[in-house]
Amino acid sequence: MGSLEVVLSSIFDQMGVDYILPPPNSQRTIELGVKYGPEFACFPLKTTLGNFIEALEAGADTLIMVSGRGPCRFGYYAETQRRILEEAGYDFRMYMLEFEPERIPDLLRKLRELKQGRSFLSLARAIKFAFAKAVLVDRLEKKALAQRWMDREKGATTRALKECYRMIREADTYASLRKVEREAFQLLESVPKEAREPVRIGIVGEFYLVLEPYFNLQVEEQLGNLGAYVERSVYLTDWLRPTGNNPVGGHSDAESDEAARPFLTHFVGGEGIRSVGHTVLYQRMGFDGVVHVMPFTCMPETIAKSILPRVSKELGIPVLSIVIDEMTGRAGVATRLEAFVDLARHRRKAKMRGERPQPVPGLL
Amino acid sequence: MSAGKTAVLKIGIPGGLLYYRYGRLWRSFLEELGAQVVESGETTRSILSSGVSKAENESCLPVKVFYGHVLALKDKVDALFVPRVVSVKRKTHTCPKMLGLPDLARAACEDQVPIIAPTIDFQTGLWSNYQAVYSTGRIFTDSPTLMLRAGLKAWREYRRYQRSLKEGLFPRGRLELDPRRRLCSGNELRVAVIGHHYNVYDTFTTMSLLDRLRSMGVDVVTADMIPERLAREELSRLPKPLYWSYEEEIVGAILACSRHRLVDGIIFIISFPCGPDSIVRVICEQENRRLGGPPMMTMVIDEHTGESGFLTRIEAFLDMLRRSSAVREREKVPSLA
Repeated sequence: MGSLEVVLSSIFDQMGVDYILPPPNSQRTIELGVKYGPEFACFPLKTTLGNFIEALEAGADTLIMVSGRGPCRFGYYAETQRRILEEAGYDFRMYMLEFEPERIPDLLRKLRELKQGRSFLSLARAIKFAFAKAVLVDRLEKKALAQRWMDREKGATTRALKECYRMIREADTYASLRKVEREAFQLLESVPKEAREPVRIGIVGEFYLVLEPYFNLQVEEQLGNLGAYVERSVYLTDWLRPTGNNPVGGHSDAESDEAARPFLTHFVGGEGIRSVGHTVLYQRMGFDGVVHVMPFTCMPETIAKSILPRVSKELGIPVLSIVIDEMTGRAGVATRLEAFVDLARHRRKAKMRGERPQPVPGLL
Repeated sequence: MSAGKTAVLKIGIPGGLLYYRYGRLWRSFLEELGAQVVESGETTRSILSSGVSKAENESCLPVKVFYGHVLALKDKVDALFVPRVVSVKRKTHTCPKMLGLPDLARAACEDQVPIIAPTIDFQTGLWSNYQAVYSTGRIFTDSPTLMLRAGLKAWREYRRYQRSLKEGLFPRGRLELDPRRRLCSGNELRVAVIGHHYNVYDTFTTMSLLDRLRSMGVDVVTADMIPERLAREELSRLPKPLYWSYEEEIVGAILACSRHRLVDGIIFIISFPCGPDSIVRVICEQENRRLGGPPMMTMVIDEHTGESGFLTRIEAFLDMLRRSSAVREREKVPSLA
């Protein structure tokens, strides 16, 4: 997963732990996950299962997975995947890290084994440094989203962003990270641009799929290339931060929950309530449309998806829900995004001309 | 809603999801408070199809059924009663769909009917639950003693209902229990039908599976009839505790059946695409194999499930069970001689 990879490899490098980066996500990852995974488990369970298998094939002997106790299935991923992999005959150890207050002793014990003789202090330092890197990655991604629509040559911003990732990955001290920060922002700034008429689209949805470009079929990039100024609701470091004030994304969880209240009044696990809340917030900020990305059978997002048509109708903001699983075709998504951006643009123009905007056409 | 305290309010209880568990409790509570309770009763084809056309494609079958029940009731009542059951046991949750259910119901009936939605959450302690019940009671009466009486009566009603399920009765229509219709009557073949209440006891979506099994001369055991102690024992053996209340019961029941060989075969009913069950299925199938339990068949049902295909599978499964128990009998004979 794009930026998470930067974070974790940074921690392991600093700790001197031998690690294997699984091969990049590919069709094979999906196929492996689908082959071994439960039939209608959510898509991320299958893809991470595929990642694990590929890592084991590449020679890994220890797997680390976070685990929890939420109403969403994510908390039980690790245990399910362990069962499936063991039954498939793989030989490995799995560390399930749980961040519940009452599981802290267990967490510390596992970390003690994982840090391989280094001190807890150095682990804390490594995590802090990795977090600093991750914040930078998130800020650069946000910048890329905001400028991609102006690219003179399509794909230039994406290329520059890739280069930024590489620079960040190589930084190993705070001093070099600061230097990289300056250079990276300059690099993005220097991408040739041309003036265009923007259309503003927000992306909401399930954390993993929003953040993983390979599996969301590069929704962000596609929207940018279609000429949309894009903002998204979730960033890795915002998500990891326990305070919930989301400095990168710009809207705190409390703000989002408040916005969702007329439509959804209770936490439903995962990012369900945030998807609704951010849609309302984007409408308040005058966005022209919201794209909602979710994995097939995701429980919290299915609820959000049931409620979003009502938000869309009452507030007059077009919402496109894209449900993704192993069967989703790239061309289908591209067509729908194109049509959606067109629709949003027409509505925007009508609004500019001072016409009464057309009512939002029913379910998209 | 203050005007309601004088007039009799018509309250609708949709007959889906947790209705099969708490319907009796809710009905008795509301009626005791002086409301007129209207229920949508058994699922029918028209309820299902209206639910399917209104609900999101990705919703699970019981949610679609629930939508249908909401739509069937919305024009007939003053308010709908859809409690938000967040947690019924410490350290567990219900499924996310139950957490958002009142909001889904609101979206389903497009705000045409007010929805009474007390939040029941046993993770936050008893006080907030008391408040939830109290605030519901206030809609109908100002008298705390009346509320208390209604609450106690509802609780007793609920206990009675649970006890009957435990004894092998099964609900029909508006949760009526007929003491003459029992799931077990001393037949040779005994099969466990395990799944969510709202799947197993819904006669329409499971095509009267329980009745049919009975008429085929098979004793049926449901998750309610499995001794609680055995189920709890199995759950405590799991390496990572589950955190869904109702799925816990399912896993406990299935694993108790496989370890103690309580039955000759297990039919595990899942509705497509149930989130927790997709995970629970992995655990159950794996552990059942590991424990060398009885044959287990997982049936996934949705609104497209055809009756004949469903029945053929059930019949084939029963034939297989009968034959294998006959084989077991034959094998026993020479070993005795």
